[in-house]
Amino acid sequence: MSSILVFCSVQDGRIKRSSLEAMSRAREVASEAGLSLSAAILGSESGNLSSEAMSYGAEQVFTVSNPVLDSHLNAPALSALESIIREASPRMMVAASTESVKDILGALAIRCDAAVLPDVATFEMSGNQVACQRPVMAAKKLASTSSAHPLVFVSVRSGSYEASRSPVSGTVTDVPFSFDDATLRQALREVVTTASDTVDLSEARVVVSAGRGVRDESGRALVQELADITGAAIGASRAVVETGLFPATAQIGQTGKVVSPDLYFAVGISGAVQHTAGMANSRIIVAINKDADAPIFDIATYGLVGDCFTILPLLNAALKEAKD
Amino acid sequence: MKFCVCIKQVPDVQAAVQTGRMVLNAYDASAVEEALVLNAENGDPVDLVLVGPSTATETIRKALAMGATDATHLVAEDGGEADSHSIAALLASHFEGHEYDVILTGKQSQDSDAGLAGAMLAERLSLPYATNAVGLAVEGNKLVVTRQGDSGQEIIALETPCLVTCSNDMNNPRIPALKGIMAAKRKQIATEHVAAPSARTAHSGTVDPPGREPGIKLEGEPEDIVADLVRRLDTEAGVL
Ligand SMILES: Cc1cc2nc3c(=O)[nH]c(=O)nc-3n(C[C@H](O)[C@H](O)[C@H](O)COP(=O)(O)OP(=O)(O)OC[C@H]3O[C@@H](n4cnc5c(N)ncnc54)[C@H](O)[C@@H]3O)c2cc1C
Ligand SMILES: Nc1ncnc2c1ncn2[C@@H]1O[C@H](COP(=O)(O)O)[C@@H](O)[C@H]1O
Repeated sequence: MSSILVFCSVQDGRIKRSSLEAMSRAREVASEAGLSLSAAILGSESGNLSSEAMSYGAEQVFTVSNPVLDSHLNAPALSALESIIREASPRMMVAASTESVKDILGALAIRCDAAVLPDVATFEMSGNQVACQRPVMAAKKLASTSSAHPLVFVSVRSGSYEASRSPVSGTVTDVPFSFDDATLRQALREVVTTASDTVDLSEARVVVSAGRGVRDESGRALVQELADITGAAIGASRAVVETGLFPATAQIGQTGKVVSPDLYFAVGISGAVQHTAGMANSRIIVAINKDADAPIFDIATYGLVGDCFTILPLLNAALKEAKD
Repeated sequence: MKFCVCIKQVPDVQAAVQTGRMVLNAYDASAVEEALVLNAENGDPVDLVLVGPSTATETIRKALAMGATDATHLVAEDGGEADSHSIAALLASHFEGHEYDVILTGKQSQDSDAGLAGAMLAERLSLPYATNAVGLAVEGNKLVVTRQGDSGQEIIALETPCLVTCSNDMNNPRIPALKGIMAAKRKQIATEHVAAPSARTAHSGTVDPPGREPGIKLEGEPEDIVADLVRRLDTEAGVL
């Protein structure tokens, strides 16, 4: 029986939630289409993570456990996934739309002769087609795109589906992998992270996001305090990242990350389409902006018109009190 | 180093209403800028290639006006059906006849946000590559790329020839000066007519995304609106 293969991204020794979301949807699609569900996991932890993939419904788990795959470098990741795809010969490969996946999807499609539906909000099988809806024009429109190609890759935006368990007892196949360093022609020299990089924005339930209105260190401290009180990850607009107040990893939007938390605070953010492209699917949006006409108010659930340097100290105190 | 930048003409996504105005893809503009900066001292060429209808010439002229050296226009009149696959195939045949140290593309098209053509092209040409670059530096015959990864920035040294896809977070592209605009007008653009190879994906229209429920704007004394917000977050939204 042909399958849907889900590529599971691993971070800090666990499968990313966005991969489990994609897997949960893939499981539904597979069962409707009469396909089986399998998973691909790379890296030295892959053996330990197989049972987690099975608890989300993977009947067969393909692993490549070479430690060269523990830090992201595209050439070895491509070879490993190519080997798994040849072994599994799936109808479809589904993955979460992370930076590491975006890095390899195009090249892998050429190597495996696949079609790609990238960064989708929904996907399904209809007849012999894989069909999806994907945001285009900075998420101002949703495009319906499909492919009848025999092998289709789909990458799914985080937060598009709920992750849900459905345990099966599956099998594990460790796929042979030999990799010649001499053919790499690339070397990972260093990974530069900041303290805030340890919280995965795309998995956070609450995000506090700062814009140019946050202005300086004292504004940053207020935003940090709000994040600490609400247990939030910190996001940022491009304009404020440019000032150096927040790291580029925090950027949310068309160039940055896509988030869809339960609660999103937009502090001093105007609401340009390139920013809202990355956060408009948040469940509750709170906007704090001193300009009553700022476009962010068009999508905010609760819009507070005022100066964030006045509002945030009051809000932080009130939230602290509400918590105690 | 000898650079070639793949540039695309896209609709102006920022415009509230689409008037048919077309612009240079912002990510590609950053790629052009970076190549110009890296070659400013040595005078090596920064060439361009674009696939698109004949009306896309204006976009090529804009990138030439920034200071690029030469441009090739692969004229495909009916590009409506093309996807990243077909574009990468056309670009690959172009590069089979032209040698470069570094090929740059944007990290994605601003209109389709596909983000595929760069890595597809690299694979077709068997080049080492890196995506989502926010910084580039030349080091001997290597290109050192800082890319924005999932957590933190990854610094990768690529042997040349190679391909890199560029983020607009890399730089702020220059606005062409009058001198550049005049010089670009006089430049010969090599044109070649091509037929787009068949796409692997099909498009069947777009719809507006589901709208959000209208929200509430809280105006007044800061103390009052904050108290109101906290109450609503707790009782209405249930997120506290
Ligand atoms: C191709 C492309 C991709 C892009 N990708 C992204 C992306 O991924 N993410 C992104 O964010 N942007 C992106 N942008 C940039 C985007 O267009 C905007 O320029 C950016 O989002 C603006 O950030 P901002 O809202 O913080 O700044 P501004 O637009 O300058 O807004 C600042 C806001 O703060 C308010 N303010 C000022 N002082 C205060 C105060 N004391 N209290 C309360 N409010 C105050 C102002 O009223 C204003 O509304 C992209 C642009 C392009 C062209
Ligand atoms: N028609 C085109 N002509 C030249 N380059 C293109 C074209 N389409 C895409 N590209 C390049 O490929 C990048 C990514 O494209 P995409 O896969 O469409 O997101 C763009 O930023 C361009 O550098």
